[in-house]
Amino acid sequence: MESKAEAQKKPDLKETADYFKHLSLFWTDMAYLISSKPSALTSAGPMRKFTMQTKKLANEMIESNEDLIEFNNRLTEYYKQLSDTWNEAQKRFNTKVPEIPNDVEQIESSKRVWIDIFENAFTQLFDSEKFGENFGKLISSELELSKHWNNMIAVLLEAVNVPTKNDLNEVYQELHLLRKRVSKLEKSEKKAVVEHNGK
Amino acid sequence: MENELKIDPILLEEFLKFNKNLIEAPKMVPAMDEINLEMTPFDVAYSEDKMRLLHFNSPVQKQHKIPIIIVYALINRYYILDIHPQKSWIKNLLNQGFDVYLIDWGTPTNIDKFLGFDDYVNGYIDNCVDFVCDEADVEKVTLQGYCTGGTLATVYSALHPNKVKNLIATAPVIDGRKDTTVVGNLAKHMDVDKMVETIGNMPPEFMYYVFSVLKPFEQGLEKYIHFFRNIHDKNYVDNFLRVEKWLNDTPSIPGELFRQWIKDVYQENLLIQDKMYVGRKLVSLKNITMPIFIQVAVGDHLVSPECSMPLYYAVGAEDKTLRIYPTGHVGMIASSFSQKKVLSELGQWLSERSK
Repeated sequence: MESKAEAQKKPDLKETADYFKHLSLFWTDMAYLISSKPSALTSAGPMRKFTMQTKKLANEMIESNEDLIEFNNRLTEYYKQLSDTWNEAQKRFNTKVPEIPNDVEQIESSKRVWIDIFENAFTQLFDSEKFGENFGKLISSELELSKHWNNMIAVLLEAVNVPTKNDLNEVYQELHLLRKRVSKLEKSEKKAVVEHNGK
Repeated sequence: MENELKIDPILLEEFLKFNKNLIEAPKMVPAMDEINLEMTPFDVAYSEDKMRLLHFNSPVQKQHKIPIIIVYALINRYYILDIHPQKSWIKNLLNQGFDVYLIDWGTPTNIDKFLGFDDYVNGYIDNCVDFVCDEADVEKVTLQGYCTGGTLATVYSALHPNKVKNLIATAPVIDGRKDTTVVGNLAKHMDVDKMVETIGNMPPEFMYYVFSVLKPFEQGLEKYIHFFRNIHDKNYVDNFLRVEKWLNDTPSIPGELFRQWIKDVYQENLLIQDKMYVGRKLVSLKNITMPIFIQVAVGDHLVSPECSMPLYYAVGAEDKTLRIYPTGHVGMIASSFSQKKVLSELGQWLSERSK
């Protein structure tokens, strides 16, 4: 077991990340305060918008590093679960088939046993609560990383007045609602024609 | 030498033969894009956005008045139902004298990410049903749904019972909590809101991952060893490539639809409890009073029988049939077994109810 003294010696990753986050935010704040006056002259160009958003960029970068740590932890656990299951299944196979097979029939039958044992072991793993939970969190941390990348790219796009993902989503949603309204109108018009002809 | 390693000469021969097959394979086997599926001819009877309603040309005289609309699943493509002339679900129904339509969902793109259950059920399916009723001059149709299409057809029948003469649910996803497959386990632990918010539509790559953890050694390894061993068997290779082409061809799923699917069907299990809302209307399975034929497969590792069978007990219909077949998810719809057993039973049941 790890002693208290040893545990105290280990650097706290969260604390280190928080320190760098603070440090970076402090300097980006300062850089913004100092540079915002002259850059105001170029308010129509990309530099003004970009400097206003550099703080956001730094923030996203730091937070994505935090999520990268979570992603790595989940990925390590994912591969640990796979390798543990593999080792366990191999042990089970070794007890069932202790001799190295040497003819076609033996090889065929031991291959069948190998597949059955491994298939069962891995299906059991994939069906388990611990796998499902870790896999869910692994995907979730990967999505957090995607979110940060999206946000960082949005800063650059906004600086040059190019539509961001959020802008496009607004358009897609508007189009979706319009399509629905048109379809509804078409249906009611068709119904009215049928009723009119029926009369 | 005492410890000399003895190798069975047949084993050596097998090994060399396998290596020879590996080298010869590209010369003997067509690439997946080169495969001609020899599909049954069809016309696009109606289309809306990316969705198409296919109407198959029948080689025989139509014998039943009520047309069938097949609601295909959201995963992979519809051509599994017409994968081979001798194993074609569609051709078999046509030969039995049925008039067959099929809904192909197409390939959703980012613009479709807000499409949900309401759009699919009360929009696309309802419009297709209206179109077919007009064209065939009938008031009701037979609706058949396969896999996730079975769920959509079930929801539609519960919301529009006056337009459905018969319902056929083939391996439908109904009771998410009872689903014992790996798919169910992954779905229950998914942060689906974050997923849809971040990536929009569900990408095919994610589906391929999910498929890869289903029978990973049998499907991911043994199947391919078997393929290379049998590359001289033309029939085997032909069937193998057709199904592989289908397995590796799946469109993305619209984000909003995927969100509702995972939450309402798998995580909160609302459908079987009659608590699911689609387009602000409560879906009550008790409203399914038309004749219903439910088909499940014992060896189904995508939709477990326990997940489909509760539909039999939940519907309000008095005329209901449940058939359990000793096959798998694909075997039930695209195999010699399905031609001989599944389709002949279905045809008999349906012909009595299609007058």
